[in-house]
Amino acid sequence: MAIAKAERLMNLALCLLGTRRPLSKRELRESIEAYLEAGSDDSFNRMFERDKDDLRELGLVIETVENLDGETGYLARRDSNRLPAITLDAEEAAALGLAAKVWQQARLAGAASGALQKLRAAGMPEAEDSYEAHHSALEPRIPVHEAAFEPLMLACRDRRPVVFDYRKANAAKPEQRQVEPWTLECWRGHWYLAGWDRERRAERVFRLSRISGRVRSRSGAFTAPVPDVVTVRETVETWAGETATRSALIRLRSDCGYPLRARAVSSRELGDGWDELEIPYGHGLDAWLVEFGPDVVVLEPADLRADVVDRLRAVARA
Amino acid sequence: MAVNAIDQTRRMLSLVTYLRERPGAHVSDVARAFGITEDELISDLDVLPMCGTSFRGGDLLDIDTDGDRIWWHNPDDVAEPLRLAADEATALLVAARAVATLPGLRESDRQALLRATAKLEAAAGEAAGASSRLSVTFESEGGVFADVDRAISERRRLWLRYYSPARDELTEREVDPIRLFAVGHTYMEAWCRLSEARRTFRLDRVAEIKLLDAPAAPPELELRDLSAGLVQPSADDPEVVVEVGPGGRWVAEYYPHDSAEELPDGGLRITLRTPAPASLRRLALRLGRDGRITAPRDLAENARRAAREALAAYDSDDAQRQH
Repeated sequence: MAIAKAERLMNLALCLLGTRRPLSKRELRESIEAYLEAGSDDSFNRMFERDKDDLRELGLVIETVENLDGETGYLARRDSNRLPAITLDAEEAAALGLAAKVWQQARLAGAASGALQKLRAAGMPEAEDSYEAHHSALEPRIPVHEAAFEPLMLACRDRRPVVFDYRKANAAKPEQRQVEPWTLECWRGHWYLAGWDRERRAERVFRLSRISGRVRSRSGAFTAPVPDVVTVRETVETWAGETATRSALIRLRSDCGYPLRARAVSSRELGDGWDELEIPYGHGLDAWLVEFGPDVVVLEPADLRADVVDRLRAVARA
Repeated sequence: MAVNAIDQTRRMLSLVTYLRERPGAHVSDVARAFGITEDELISDLDVLPMCGTSFRGGDLLDIDTDGDRIWWHNPDDVAEPLRLAADEATALLVAARAVATLPGLRESDRQALLRATAKLEAAAGEAAGASSRLSVTFESEGGVFADVDRAISERRRLWLRYYSPARDELTEREVDPIRLFAVGHTYMEAWCRLSEARRTFRLDRVAEIKLLDAPAAPPELELRDLSAGLVQPSADDPEVVVEVGPGGRWVAEYYPHDSAEELPDGGLRITLRTPAPASLRRLALRLGRDGRITAPRDLAENARRAAREALAAYDSDDAQRQH
């Protein structure tokens, strides 16, 4: 049976951490059983390169040094790989323990528990059993359902340009977009990407669930400067109609439309089972008001009234 | 058994550091400290004796266990705590920052989290840099949250005025809270004494809340697995078919569905199941010209009737204005 990958990676890590001088590929091959069994030079080389990348993903700093004979050697110096001293008290440890549980995405969940394990090995105190009894009952969870998340997270991290197919909210077909990805943000349970759209030569925000197909990396560096502050949330709030600039006057049947009442700037009773409300008028209000069917009548402004009537006609004809 | 080699390697590297400081550690204690099962720990302990700490072999880790305690007979100084990888720092820092912004979090917890975050940023050094490229905001339903949190810790009953968008009405009910969780929005799972069933309440739909003196007495229930999604329609629920044009494709993003079939015009035919199809009248009205419900028929007719009724109100309003 082939030697398990974890055993091979562990051996490579321990060899590189244990040595005081750079070890050549040849020396490493001789000292690690899985590499002896690797067969051809080619398959060993491929395996070795992949393993080295994997260990770097785990945070290991592996140096490449050339010796006098021109042979490349590898080592992981102790001082560049040591966790700086960190002292956490029991409360801080418990708080981090709660935070580490929030990820519902395999890669980040694995990374978060890996971080806790490193801290634990470095002496972080263990949570007492009674923790849950006196702490907040909340269980926060960060959902990640979008397939585009992981490749975009890595591209943001490594500052790599990407290309993907994106369908705008009202478009029939997806369009290819060339993007320099800056940040990912989760708001109201959905993920958004902010970045530089190369063709439009402007900052854009993308909703991850509208990306179809694979996210592919492009070679080369970013061409536009990365801003210090990226305002994903403000952009999305505008989409969601949360930044109202005007107000509207509506008639609402009594005892109906609680969310409209909760937002109302003012309201008064009209009698006959109707109230009049003034509510903020932002993007998307027409579609929302139509949901209330015959319980809402828009009074002002005229354009909103016309939009709502238009939508109602479409439904009546359907 | 499916084992992720990367995660296992990461864990084993920390494990040797941990074991060096604790000769004769108990399997159960170590598994708990590492957040893994005892079986996972034993499978790590099976691999470690095959691993060497020095070049040219010979120095294999002499770690063994009798199933109860763990002994390392030749501890080596290679086992030092390792620095955090970029992904590790990101995963923990982003989560910690997000949790710290939760409005209902207890102040002592928030302070502990902020202190831990600062220490972690310092210890992670450069690896912390990439964590600014990911951020998460939870919804803020602060006041309601604090009452629910208190009710859970004091095991007390709650009175709610709760908004149901499906029926567009507020109902009053008493509930025994079970848990609070945040997935985008913040939710309370509770035993509803009105419907005698387990219900999930979205906190931003709570219009009013009161903490009662009566003790909460929810029946013993197994907690739901949240990773499977909040809405889990049952196979017996009636089927609804919605046909949307390109402008209505968002329906597939917001409604869990059985299937979404591409239509030639760039639209979708979405089949979903719901215990209360009447609640989808709102959806039919909202869609307007971007889509319509094709089945069940009475639901489609219901939406058309509502639209005609609404239009009649506009007509009579127009007539009055002209007078």
